[in-house]
Amino acid sequence: MLACLVTRQVAAIEVVTHPQVTQSSLTKSQLRRIYTMRQLRWSDNHAITVFVLPSQHELHQRFAKERLQIFPYQLNRIWHKLTYSGLGVAPTIVKSEQELIQAVTNTPGAIGYIGEATLVLLRQSNNDSRSQEPLHMDEESKVSSQGVVNVVKIKD
Amino acid sequence: MLSKLKTNAAVAIASRVNILYCSRSFFSRTLLCTFLLVACIATKAQAEEGKTYTNSQDFQLHGFISQGIIDVNGSDFVNDDGELSTELTEIGLNVSYQLTNKFRLAGQVVYLDGGNRYAQGARVDYALLDWSAFTDEHWQANIYLGRFKNNHWLYSSSRDIPFARPSIILPQSVYFDGFRDIAVGSDGIAAKLSHSTDEYGNFDFQLSYGSSPISDEQTKNILSEYAQGSAEQDYDSQASLYWQPAFSPWRFGVSLLDAGFTYDSAGPAKGDFFYDSGFTFQFYTMNAIYEGEKWEFSGEIYQQRFTIDGFYFPAFKLDNIGQGFYLQSRYKLTQKLTFLARYEDFYLDKDDKDGKELEESTGGAIPYYFGFHKDITLGVNYDFTSNFSIRAEYHWVRGAGRLTPVVAPNPEINNSEDWQMWAVQLMYWF
Repeated sequence: MLACLVTRQVAAIEVVTHPQVTQSSLTKSQLRRIYTMRQLRWSDNHAITVFVLPSQHELHQRFAKERLQIFPYQLNRIWHKLTYSGLGVAPTIVKSEQELIQAVTNTPGAIGYIGEATLVLLRQSNNDSRSQEPLHMDEESKVSSQGVVNVVKIKD
Repeated sequence: MLSKLKTNAAVAIASRVNILYCSRSFFSRTLLCTFLLVACIATKAQAEEGKTYTNSQDFQLHGFISQGIIDVNGSDFVNDDGELSTELTEIGLNVSYQLTNKFRLAGQVVYLDGGNRYAQGARVDYALLDWSAFTDEHWQANIYLGRFKNNHWLYSSSRDIPFARPSIILPQSVYFDGFRDIAVGSDGIAAKLSHSTDEYGNFDFQLSYGSSPISDEQTKNILSEYAQGSAEQDYDSQASLYWQPAFSPWRFGVSLLDAGFTYDSAGPAKGDFFYDSGFTFQFYTMNAIYEGEKWEFSGEIYQQRFTIDGFYFPAFKLDNIGQGFYLQSRYKLTQKLTFLARYEDFYLDKDDKDGKELEESTGGAIPYYFGFHKDITLGVNYDFTSNFSIRAEYHWVRGAGRLTPVVAPNPEINNSEDWQMWAVQLMYWF
């Protein structure tokens, strides 16, 4: 019951990158360009690898509408065109948030998104396994210093 | 290598199933079996690749399989006997492999069975080297060498991709299945320049130059079943520009096409009624699309110029300007359920919209209704999952202007001005 309430309250979506990605913030339109495959490299010229959840996944639907301000079907259309006409490469689809985190953690230059609730869980378990020190939710650098993922700030 | 084997397996199964289809018995069971069988192979492939997915984007394997039933009454659009047909199979498998930072290889093999709509069988849909010549935050310039897809019209690059196009049968005036193998792409060189800014939005400019091989079957489809010679496409040059204003639901595009063909007659000794000839085809389109949360509107308006020099007799000359448009609307009732409505109107000669001159000039051999093509389409699409859908649609068509053969039509089978068709298609992709 309580967990349910908490989940609802912290249902924001965070954009995460591989720990070696140096860029710590992105503008809304940069994020949009990255997810519509119009920007393929980070500012340091490293290739961007984009990960997404299946198009009907609730988090993907929300990410598209809230963070990218694009309807999920529009993204599908752009990606299908790239994938099935040979024009380019579309984001890699993974099945779950856990898989997505793993993919972003293991792929240099990767970008993805997760629900804040999952991020909190991830930090807790990561923290538990490495030290007994309590971790505050707003200390975003902690996660990255422990080598899991970077949380990217999205500016308007 | 692995992917090649998979392709072969998929195609082999498909053609074996096709032979089964000929018997027309156990039809629905066969349909289901095919679907499951090949879907199984596809899923297995996906599972195998799943491991590499999480590690790299350098190698990607994707594909699709779809099977449907289609029934046409009153024309030979799909078959000559007018019976319910399973000739609605589309299977594809593609790979993309990043060679270096700047070079990528990509290719797709498709197997298509559409009855009379196009030649049945497997073909290399595209096989190209993609050179990422320049890329930064706002610009991308790519050069494509090899066999590339036509990316100039609204749905030209997704016309064979069942789930990526808006309907099972596309507006035939633009996406004429009789021209499919020629119009779908070319062997040659293409360039794409994309620019994206916060102030002005997204621009995509594309150029392509090449030609397509024309099979004997296609020669007969386009010209006449009695054409014994060989047709060749000499060149196909195209350009297009798309613009989407910043954060706008609208996108606008224009495209230009110029193509030339020659026909080498086999000669009267070999029973060829037709003469050496040259054909040119020019096609200009303008399009707009609106993508809202629930509603979507799109349309293309176009003009074509078709010339014949020879063919019927050495001094024969024809110069026709055809025009048309379609308007399409889609409504997303829920996340999974989408409705479609479309109206299409096309005539082959703008000075003879009702085809009366066509009938008179041929002494009644070609009826007036071969001069136009109008189609009202209603459809529905349901997405079971993120990559499994079903689609159904009904077409009310008036006119025979988009039936094959094109140059020398067949009014014996197509003896009706009005004809209808419906189709249902299952689609799976990964």
